[in-house]
Amino acid sequence: MDCHNEECSRPQEEEDIMDIPLDDPEANRAAAKIQAGFRGHMTRKKMKPEDKAEGEERPEDRGQ
Amino acid sequence: LIAHYQSLPQAASFTQAASFTPVNYREAFGLFDRVGDNKVAYNQVADIMRALGQNPTNKEVNRLLGMPSADDMTAKRVEFEGFLPMLQTIINSPNKAGYDDYVEGLRVFDKEGNGTVMGAELRIVLSTLGEKMSADEIDALMAGQEDENGCVNYETFVKHIMSV
Repeated sequence: MDCHNEECSRPQEEEDIMDIPLDDPEANRAAAKIQAGFRGHMTRKKMKPEDKAEGEERPEDRGQ
Repeated sequence: LIAHYQSLPQAASFTQAASFTPVNYREAFGLFDRVGDNKVAYNQVADIMRALGQNPTNKEVNRLLGMPSADDMTAKRVEFEGFLPMLQTIINSPNKAGYDDYVEGLRVFDKEGNGTVMGAELRIVLSTLGEKMSADEIDALMAGQEDENGCVNYETFVKHIMSV
């Protein structure tokens, strides 16, 4: 937890970012599921006619 | 962190209405045929499924296509009758992610427990884990989502994702 001894040469923020579990299969599976949802969203967004300004909040009953 | 990923809940399936106008799957499929042979290229299959409201992983699609090579993806084409069973497999797949899955997945990065994640950290995760996203994809995804401090309210973000 402490970052102020001889073994630790990286600043705290970098260490947090290095916490990303690159080799963990469960983490990667979970990430892939989230990315799949993101990619689905982006494809559908691309296919919509542009009738609203970018970034506008859509009402929650939109997806009927 | 790892323990959290292992317990990602398996939400009941959710369906999402496609928000573009074709009346049926065949019509949607036809829109993607740019050659006029009533087929689409392998590399279009995932996008057609997404356009139809599904969220397949690239791995799932590759499996359905028989593990095609990069050349196959551009050169091989599939007709609607071949595409439909693939689509149905995705539609019927269990363990589809819903609102709670996305929120809980992102909550892992909410260090202060205040409902936000650092946009920069999210970008790193999306580009280094899972099915890595490109910088362009990430920019498109996150456009307008970060506040002036570079933070993302992830519940709002997920609602936005699920609204289309």
